[in-house]
Formats: sequence, structure tokens, C-alpha cells
Amino acid sequence: MVTRSSNGRPWTFYALAAFFTLFVLFLYGPMSAIFILSFQGPNGGLTFPMNGVSLHWFGALFAQQRSGDFVGSFSRSITLAILVLVMTVVISIMAGLAFRYRFACATAVFYMAIASLIMPGLLLGLGVGLMFQFAGIRPAWFSSALGAQLTWTLPFGLLIMFAVFSRFNRVYEEAARDLGARQWQTLWHVVLPILLPGIIGVALFGFTLSYDEFPRTVIPIGSRNTLPLEIWAMTTDVTSPALYALGTLTTAVSFVVIAAALTSIALIQRRRARRQRGHPDARRGGAEALPRTAGVRVGADAGDA
Amino acid sequence: MAQAGELELRHVTKRFDQTLAVDDISLTIPHGSYCCLLGPSGCGKTTILRMIAGHEAPTSGDIRLGGESVVGLPPARRGTAMMFQNYALFPHLNVLDNVAFNLKMRGVRRAERHERAREMLAQVQLDLRFSERMPAQLSGGQQQRVALSRALITKPRVLLLDEPLSALDEFLRLQMRGELRRMQRELGITFVHVTHTQLEAIAVADLVVVMDQGRIEQAASAHEIYTLPASAYVARFMGGQNVLTGTVVTIDGGVATLVDGSGARFATPVKSPAPAVGQEIACCVRRDRVDIEKLRGPSPSPGEATNVAAGTVHAIEYQGSYVKVTIDVLESEQVVAHLADHAFLATPLDIGDAVLARWATEDVYLLTGDLTPPPTGVRPGPLQGRESRSRNL
Repeated sequence: MVTRSSNGRPWTFYALAAFFTLFVLFLYGPMSAIFILSFQGPNGGLTFPMNGVSLHWFGALFAQQRSGDFVGSFSRSITLAILVLVMTVVISIMAGLAFRYRFACATAVFYMAIASLIMPGLLLGLGVGLMFQFAGIRPAWFSSALGAQLTWTLPFGLLIMFAVFSRFNRVYEEAARDLGARQWQTLWHVVLPILLPGIIGVALFGFTLSYDEFPRTVIPIGSRNTLPLEIWAMTTDVTSPALYALGTLTTAVSFVVIAAALTSIALIQRRRARRQRGHPDARRGGAEALPRTAGVRVGADAGDA
Repeated sequence: MAQAGELELRHVTKRFDQTLAVDDISLTIPHGSYCCLLGPSGCGKTTILRMIAGHEAPTSGDIRLGGESVVGLPPARRGTAMMFQNYALFPHLNVLDNVAFNLKMRGVRRAERHERAREMLAQVQLDLRFSERMPAQLSGGQQQRVALSRALITKPRVLLLDEPLSALDEFLRLQMRGELRRMQRELGITFVHVTHTQLEAIAVADLVVVMDQGRIEQAASAHEIYTLPASAYVARFMGGQNVLTGTVVTIDGGVATLVDGSGARFATPVKSPAPAVGQEIACCVRRDRVDIEKLRGPSPSPGEATNVAAGTVHAIEYQGSYVKVTIDVLESEQVVAHLADHAFLATPLDIGDAVLARWATEDVYLLTGDLTPPPTGVRPGPLQGRESRSRNL
């Protein structure tokens, strides 16, 4: 039996609504606290209460004094994220195409790729750092850290690409071939455009995973930090709300990237799949204009002997 | 010298791993004809189409177009074009770019290829208002016109159509099949159309190829397939016939008498070589040649008469110009009669009525080929060898 309140909703509705509210508070509470505190007045501290409202700490970020190398680490993080994005997209597409065929050891290669998802990131980063040291190459954000991040983004990209390709109907490739397209023309004019929303998804993953990657990057980063490492360093050194201002800014960057990706996917999907509803004349013209009375089920029983 | 659009299959076999999809098929489709490959799903008809198109390679045998072998050539160099099931229109390109795709791949300039695509769309009677639409914004009939023009812009000698009407509703299906036929006449090229719908095949095709389990059961004109089926399989599959099976007891003056499991006696005219006494044979009689007599008594008895089946009315379906009456016959297959509507209305029947169904011996047609399903597991006799089964035009 479900007890109903006066307006007819069962008590479970309120219980679940309360639970959901808690969840939202838990999810956005910390973020909101940092967001609000980043607008702390010039004399404010790291905790509530607010001591006035200002943009002082955002300014302090760019002044590069005691608040760490924000501009440098931010530009390194963005550059690294774009590098990771491009390599993840290109390699995932190629792997996705390759895995459509059962080549020798396909399963082994797949599990090897996935294994680096399971390995503790810190250890993986340590391994990458050791390898570079062994080879006598100085670790840097654009070499060893890039490699360490790819061990994280590539398996993800590959898994998404599998899902994307599993929904791709190969008849489009046959149709292109039938219409005289060479292999690379088929890829460029048919396969990639059709898969574009999925490819944008892989790119988004590559970018955001790299942009806030910490455990794999911390050891093989070399002498110049990426943004998450800089923030980590700041939490121990910096004792001002500049830290919060940084958090607010980087979150804003992430949101912009995600919003741009999702918007472009939505635009592509809408362009392709606008339903006939919006186009009252789509059913006119051609055969459909005729009345649907004639010839319905003429002798449809043939062959039922 | 074979004409440009003559298509010939020579002993074509296709195996997928251990499965035999197409079993040693030979067939000639004349230039400029409309051919339908007809059969249930899994009979190999689509595999044949894909081998002609070049999307599948035959395991053995040869495919010749205009007298020259096309095996090994890429699809676009064969002079064939394929209209795929569900059309496979590129979802990211608008109608005009879909139709112009082949020209774009060949490096034709944008203005020219769009001009030619518009001409093509006009030829299939698609309103040019739709040329900027995306495929998802079109109805099924419009999508089919786009697919047709996209294939025809390659100027093929043979157009291959894989279940072209299956994505349409009943009304559109009837209309579009007429248009396909009209297009084929207008263009004068060979059409090969794969379908599992009997009425679709006999409505449009010059040559109907009935297939089962990777083999051709009969290849003939629609009229011949319908009225003179080569085997019990074809008769049953096409419908319109009642198939009678039994053992030959006497042969006299070109007429064989057979007795079925329930003791009923049927007579059929035979040609030489005639079946032997004691042989299991099948024959058929058209549904519209069966007369029905209502009985007064409660229980029908088969009696000693030939070409009579006694039973009770199982179903009555009004079909407009005729009435389809299905009769349950004891220990035998159902008999179906198509009665002219005025004849039915003169002596109406009801479900459960005891009736006698009768037909004339001259309306019975002897079938060759396997008895499907074989009632006693008899092997095909000398008359029913495989050679007699695939008759080339």
C-alpha cells in the first residue's frame, strides 16, 4: 500500500525529492562555496564570512607574484589539452576503423589498451618518468607528461569510438563505393561526416581528461607545471582567495569547452534529423498527395496457401 | 554479340564459411528487361544482387554484363548501380548533394553537378522544392525518388534494386512499383529487382525468378509462373493454386489418377514422359477454378468421385471482386476457392457449413520438382531432376 497525501503524490515522491536535493547540494555546494569566496574583498580570508565583494583576487592571478604562475600553467594546460585532443581523436578513429576487422590478436590489443585504465595513475606516471630517465630524456609537459596523459585518454577514446562505430551502418560505405568513391573519398566524404558527433565527443573527452589530469601527470611533468599541478602547489603555499579565483576561472573554461562541444553535436543532429512535424509540406508532393483510398490490400493473401 | 545490358550468371556459387547461400545458379537476363528475383528471406536473392553489384565476390562461377566478365571489377566500373534497401541516403548531405555524389567523386564542378542533379530529380518527378532538404525530412516515397536519381545519375546499364518498396506503406508501394516499371520502360535499361512479395514481382516483371535455398525453382514470365508453376514449391509460394499430392494408381489416355492419404481420388492430365504407377506426384488446380457445393447433410463423405474434396468451411474472406473460401478437408491440406462475388451471393455460405469442392480434370496441372513438404520422404523421380528446374529464358 502506498500512502497518498492530499494532492495525490505518494510519500516516496517526497522521500526521493529530498534525496535528490541532498545530492544536488552535495554536488554543487562545494563548487558554489569556492565560486562565492573567489569574489572575496581585498582584506578577506580563505573562509566565510565574506569581507566585502571584489574582483581583486582575479586580478592577483594575472599579477604573477606570490600567487603562483597562473598564466604560464594555464597556457601550458590548454596547449597540452589540445595536443592530447588531436592525438586522441586521430588515433581513436584509426583504431576504431581497424577494430572493425578481426585482425590477429585484436582481443589482446584491446585488453592491453584497457589495462592502462585500471592501473593506478600515479604508478603509471612514475613508470613513464622512469622510462624517460632511463632513456636519458629530460621529462617535460610536452613529452613525458603528454605520453602519460595519452595512456588515460586513448582507452577512453577507443571505447567511445567502439560505441560510435557499432551504430554506424556500413551500407553507407557500400553506397559510396557503388557511386564511385575511392577508399579515402569514402572516409572523408561519408564515414567521418556521419561519425562527426561521436568524434566531437571523443575530442571533448580528450580535452577535459587532459585539462584536469593530476595523478599521471604529477611525476613526469618536469620543471614546469600544468594548471592542476599549479593549483595543488598553491594549496600548500598560497593562503589567499586567489586560489578560489583560479578555481572559478578554470571551471568556467571547462564549462565553455563542454558547452561548445555539446552545442555543436546538437546542431549537427538537428540539421540531420529534423522531423517532418516541423515541415507541413514534407508529406505533400509526389505520391503522397493522392488520396489514400485506392488499392489498399488488393489480394494481399497471395502465397498464404 | 550480347547487348550492353544483358546480364548472364554462369554457374555462380557463393559460400559464407560453411553456409551455401547461392548454389550453382545459371541465368540470363535479357537486355532492357525487368527481372524480379523472388523468394523468402534467406533464399540467396540479395546475395545474387550484391554479387552482380560487386559488393560480394562469387565463390565460383562467372558474372557477365554485355558479354564481358565483371568479376573482380569494383562496383563503380561495372556499369551497374544499386538502390539499397532503406535507400542508404547519406544523412549528412541534402537531396541535391546526395544525387550529385557520384559526380562530385568524379571531380565535376559544383555548378555543373548540381545542374545535372536537378535534371535527374525532375526525371523522377521529385519537386525541386525538396532539393535543399535533408533525407530525414523526406517521406518514404520522396526518399525513394532521391535514391533512384542518385543511382541513375551514374548512367548504369543495369539498375539493381534491393527490396525497393519494403520501406513504404501499402498504398505507396502499389504506386511506386508502377513508377519503377514506367522508369524502366522509359530508360530502356535492365532492372533487377529483389523482393519477397509475390504480387510485386508478377505486377512489374518481364522475367520472374522464383528462388528457394540458393537455387532457382523457376525462371519464366509472370503469367507462366502463376498459371504453370514448375514445382509444388512454386505453386505454394506464389499462391493462387491448390496443391494436390498422392500416389498414382492408374494412367489411362493421358490422364493419371492418384489417391491421397485420406483415400480421395484426383485426376490430372499428364504429358510424356508420364509418371509411373505407384509414384508419388503433385499437381495443382487454380483457386478460381474450384466450385463449391453446399451439402444438406451434416457429415460430408468423400465418396468415389474424382476431383472432389469434402470438408467444412473454415474461413470466408470478402475480397471485392471475389470471395475467398477456405475449406478444411479431413486428413489433407486445406482447399481454397475463389468464388466470383455474384456466384457467392447467389448461394451464400457460412463458416462450419459442410461443402463439396469440385474441379474439372482439364484444370489440373501436373507439377514436377520436389514434393514440398514431402509427405513420405520420397526422393525426386526421373521427371523431377534438377535440370528441369532452372529453365533459362
